[in-house]
Amino acid sequence: MDMGLALQARDVRMEYVDQATGDRLLAIDRVDIDIAEGQFVSIVGPSGCGKSTFLKIVNGLFPATAGTIEIRQSPKGVAHAMVFQDSSLFPWYDIVDNVAYGLVCQGVPRKEAQRRAQPLIDLVSLTGFEGKFPYQLSGGMQQRANLARALTVDPEILLMDEPFAALDAQTRELMQAELLRIWNEANKTVLFITHQIDEAIYLSDRVLVMSARPGRILADITIDLRRPRKLEIKRTPEFIAYADQIWGLISTQLKPHIHDKAAHPGGEAVA
Amino acid sequence: MTVASPDLTRTRSQHPDGSRRIRVPGIPERLKYGLLGFLVVLPLWEAVVRLGLVKRVTLSSPSLILEAAWEDLIINGTLWPHIFQSSQQFFLGLGLALITGVPLGLALGLFRRLNYFLDPWLSAIYATPTIALVPLIILILGLGLESKVFIVWLEAIFVIVVTTMVGVRAAEARYLDLAKSFRASRWLTFRSVILPSSFPYILTALRLGVTRALVGVVVAEFFAANKGLGFFINFSGTTLRTDRVMLGVILLGLLGVVLGEGVRRIERRYEKWRPEFR
Repeated sequence: MDMGLALQARDVRMEYVDQATGDRLLAIDRVDIDIAEGQFVSIVGPSGCGKSTFLKIVNGLFPATAGTIEIRQSPKGVAHAMVFQDSSLFPWYDIVDNVAYGLVCQGVPRKEAQRRAQPLIDLVSLTGFEGKFPYQLSGGMQQRANLARALTVDPEILLMDEPFAALDAQTRELMQAELLRIWNEANKTVLFITHQIDEAIYLSDRVLVMSARPGRILADITIDLRRPRKLEIKRTPEFIAYADQIWGLISTQLKPHIHDKAAHPGGEAVA
Repeated sequence: MTVASPDLTRTRSQHPDGSRRIRVPGIPERLKYGLLGFLVVLPLWEAVVRLGLVKRVTLSSPSLILEAAWEDLIINGTLWPHIFQSSQQFFLGLGLALITGVPLGLALGLFRRLNYFLDPWLSAIYATPTIALVPLIILILGLGLESKVFIVWLEAIFVIVVTTMVGVRAAEARYLDLAKSFRASRWLTFRSVILPSSFPYILTALRLGVTRALVGVVVAEFFAANKGLGFFINFSGTTLRTDRVMLGVILLGLLGVVLGEGVRRIERRYEKWRPEFR
């Protein structure tokens, strides 16, 4: 793998066999991605394009059918950690135990794991909520804990699978700004999956646009907006120009997808 | 009238005396009507027997049962050894059923092949009425405590095994994915995901087990026993002492209600964990 890269994916391909019909389904095909260290990269694309599938392959939840994914090995932390779409906090653990879970998985004793989780709890502004249980927290706070849990294991690359999709619009905006603050402090490489174009532009150094199934990388757009970015930046002409460009690329993908959906009644809805 | 001020007139017509009715939802109303049930049924029962519409030996009566309770529980205390005997069998049998049933249920939920291996046997024994096995059990284990505890155990264990197994299967994919994503060991995955997920189900298993174990106690004591509430009921029946039969039945019922409610209280505390509550 090239120097200075945190992740390098080459020719990644994923095929499913439909259990009911026995048909082979090509989910993603010929995906090449390079992510430089410290970069914030988003993948956007229509629903069902395989962007979450790609992230799960990177996360090692299942293997790709073909291709290679290399992730820079960290000398101290782990290669990657995932922030899931639903917070997936254990309802039977309080917040500190949830955040410390990644360390416990590495064999760190519980007390020490809790101690090491504290700075991350502070970082995501959950100080004082250590002893609370997930159901006592709002959706936004749950996602903060979710983020802290992933950061606790000090991953080389942070994988985020539509982490704000379940939040209401205002909370989502605030969490986006929070994420940038935390990213700035934690200094991590991030691979972020979303179907929200403005979210991707606002957060990222680069936005990768994925095609409808089979998912391929259609475009790699560098977002040249000055950091730190305020939420108001979303109303600037430059920002809107990026949004138009990306929306134009995605909309070319929607027609065949709708057609495809009509042919298969079980297909996913278009966002 | 209704056209002019519909709300006001409607309220007035409902409460002509002008009194305000305060509806307290939930428990007070439940309690009110529950007690009302007793106040209606018990005097009616008493009256039917006193008036001679039904023979005393057929149905006894609330006052006769109360009298029997007074005599057997307080004056001469002859019922206590029976209660003690039954309690012993109940707790030993249920305890053993939990100690064996919960791990077995967990194992069956975790290991598919073990499940396939044991399933036909479990289904067969489950389908057989326990009472049909009593002669065999007495033949093998004798007439002592062992055979009775075994019957209680047998009666209680299946519902515990099956409910616990369902609990293991109820572990949600997103939590399992999370554990996998953080590379949790199999043991840690079990401890941090599967066991807590199935815990509410284990409590339900305990509650269902209580009911079944109570049935087991009566079944065990109906056959070849000389002590216990089951024996007391059976013996009182054959000597035509209906008040004692009723007393025994009421005590068993009370025991079931009290223990069941106790477990339900613990269950409620963990309801928030259950997926449907999130």
